[in-house]
Amino acid sequence: MVQTHSVKKMTFLQKVNGFIQKSPARMAIIIATLLYGITVAMVPTALNLSAITSIIMLTLLLSFASAGQTIVLIAGGMDFTVGAVMSAGAIITTAIMNGQDGNFVKTLVVVLLSSAGIGLLNGICTVKIGLPAMIVTMAISNVVNRLTYVLTDGSPLGYASPAFIKSVTSKILGFVPSLALYGLVIFPIVFYLLYFSRLGKQVYLVGNNDNAARLNGINTSKVKILTYVISATLSGFTGMLGAGYMQSAKCQMFDGYAFNSLIAVIVGGTALSGGVGTYTGSIAGALLMVVLTNMLTALSLSQPVRNIAMGIVMISLLILYNREKSVRQ
Amino acid sequence: MFEMRGIEKRFNAVIALDGASLSLSPGEVLALLGSNGSGKSTMIKVLAGLVAPNQGEIILDGQPVSINSGYESRKLGIATAFQDLSLIPTMSVMDNIMLGREPVNSVGIVNRKGAIQEVRELLERFEIQCEPDAYVQTLTPSTQTMLEVAKAVALKPRLLLLDEVTAALHYDEIEVLFRIMRELKDEGVAMIYVTHRMDEIFKICDTANIMRGGKTMTQSPINELDLDEVVFHMTGMRPEAAKKSETEDSFSEEGRELILDVSHLEMLPKVRDISMKAFKGEIIGIGGLQGQGQSEFIRLVLGAEKIEDGSIEFCGEKVSFASPAEAVKKGLGFISGERNRDAIFHLRSVEENLTTGLVAKGNLASFLSPAKLASFSKKAVERYNIVLESIKNPASTLSGGNQQKLVVARWIAMDPILLLLDDPTKGVDIVARQEIHKILRECADEGMTIIISSSESDELLTIADRIYVFFDGQVSDMLEGANKTSERLVASMMGLSKTMATEEA
Repeated sequence: MVQTHSVKKMTFLQKVNGFIQKSPARMAIIIATLLYGITVAMVPTALNLSAITSIIMLTLLLSFASAGQTIVLIAGGMDFTVGAVMSAGAIITTAIMNGQDGNFVKTLVVVLLSSAGIGLLNGICTVKIGLPAMIVTMAISNVVNRLTYVLTDGSPLGYASPAFIKSVTSKILGFVPSLALYGLVIFPIVFYLLYFSRLGKQVYLVGNNDNAARLNGINTSKVKILTYVISATLSGFTGMLGAGYMQSAKCQMFDGYAFNSLIAVIVGGTALSGGVGTYTGSIAGALLMVVLTNMLTALSLSQPVRNIAMGIVMISLLILYNREKSVRQ
Repeated sequence: MFEMRGIEKRFNAVIALDGASLSLSPGEVLALLGSNGSGKSTMIKVLAGLVAPNQGEIILDGQPVSINSGYESRKLGIATAFQDLSLIPTMSVMDNIMLGREPVNSVGIVNRKGAIQEVRELLERFEIQCEPDAYVQTLTPSTQTMLEVAKAVALKPRLLLLDEVTAALHYDEIEVLFRIMRELKDEGVAMIYVTHRMDEIFKICDTANIMRGGKTMTQSPINELDLDEVVFHMTGMRPEAAKKSETEDSFSEEGRELILDVSHLEMLPKVRDISMKAFKGEIIGIGGLQGQGQSEFIRLVLGAEKIEDGSIEFCGEKVSFASPAEAVKKGLGFISGERNRDAIFHLRSVEENLTTGLVAKGNLASFLSPAKLASFSKKAVERYNIVLESIKNPASTLSGGNQQKLVVARWIAMDPILLLLDDPTKGVDIVARQEIHKILRECADEGMTIIISSSESDELLTIADRIYVFFDGQVSDMLEGANKTSERLVASMMGLSKTMATEEA
């Protein structure tokens, strides 16, 4: 009896694994829906338009921030500067806009260039000097954060311009934040880069087998450095949009995005070891992260308890994913 | 003192040892000879305790013993210097030498001073120029090999096993090694010496034990043997062709377009001095025993390794590729037999694996049409008869032979000017191998130049127009036309044609 029971349990687990293996994105969306259902069942007031708007808003921001992370991870790297670059992008935005309309292009150029510079630094340090990506990007992320303190005396000035704020926070059809319009630009670019461009194809090959990619004539160093540049540039732009959402900026305001983007990408089915992953999965992973946070907030748990719950859920999800990986290899 | 009798070892269906035997007395240096796959290394591993034989007995001082682990082997007084080194790269020289037998005081604290003293003396004796606290990974390959030997000698063994240690050594280091071997001999240490270099065995060894196909062919005193005799026992063939005059008349360079002209290429210690010419539409074979510099040479041409000396001309233009990416851009292609390490993207689909050539070459931002990629790979699958379930499945779902065909197809579809193949049919069954040969011949007929290295003589004799035989990082012979016989190939693989030439001179 006991044996048959355990056999059944095994096959169920295998089924779950098989399902995740097939489509981590679908799995993440199903879990997110379930979690939201539970939240509404427990706290009925959680079901309202502004909550949905906020979920969409945060999901969009996190999925923009995860775009670069996805590409970096597929190429076999890791980018912990996402949060710091976003914060820096936001601070630059409020400082240049200073509450006045008409500086959008200037802001955009400065944000994109400075974040691309940080990405280049990340890439060169990891690829050319050969230091572990996690350490390098964490260190650079610290430097960027401290730099924002030094340059702003710890209290960044200015506000995002009213027009820019409006372009981010207006509501379409009453509940979709206009931030989604930026998505119409970012999503196609990322999908093109990852799935249809030569670079994207090379990213997958490099992540799967660096040595083979090199011997097959791919400039692997260039590809890897470029992934960091793309990641930082997207992070910087997301930070700018974040400034529009928050209206003003604070040092380290988006710190959590470094870790959250990484989790969203992994939950979305991208392998930490590289070579496998989709951006669709990362978007679904971002949704799951946001819904989970929303649930913990709605249940009005205290911050430490929220962190603990978050950690437990993440670890359980990651165990499911890692199991799939070890079966394969 | 020491004897092995009727040793048998099977790895599943493969018979590695089939009744091999040897005997050894104190102070004797025994050369263990045989071509690739004859079972020499397995014999060494049996003694080192790494391989458990299925049958046979090992007798030490008249007592049968069994060796079940490296530790037991050590306890019996056997020390081994392995070809692929047993050093730990991230530990210091001293820690490596003293590993497992660190001198300790009564409370178990390591006596570093004593250890350093011992290690210094050892390094001095071996003329190794390094500090005891240097990390092993910072040393050159040849120094590491010397260290490997020193480590084994430091165990004060009764029986010392040296497995192809000279392959990575420089000439002066070999002299040091021989000096030490003679010292050990006087101390009564028995030694088993595995090498591919024929001149060495006549210098240092007392007896030769020659193996072929897992069997011991003969064991006799070295002064009763000559080179011909040794080669005969190793291969079953008399190397008569090696004595023929070296006429190279059938090959004419006139009217042919020179594609690759390599002169005096050097990357120590593996590639010492290699010159080679390849003409349009030719299939050039590179032969030789394992590790004579073939892979390194091919990687030098491809730009995957840095050239130390010498030059390469490609299509009449002097080139020095900084990376394979540059070489590929100029029209080179590379197929590796180490497909897991060098070629296959096992997580990615068959289609992505087939289209890597298209993906590698060109502007990074440009659009790659899915339809074009699909039709490209579909054509390759059909033309090269790759057996698969679905082109969208990961490449790891294909059989080994089909994976290798995939890698070949990938490059041939790109139509390179010069295709380099490094032992491409390693571990590929005979049917797939013949298909690959057919494909290569077709390509050469269409004007592609092909350079193929192979560890199998038959393969080279079948496919290559001309064969360059590598020995010890140099070209020991070039075979073509009527000279392309297996006897001559075997002789030059042993480095005999060179030895002959110097002896006659």
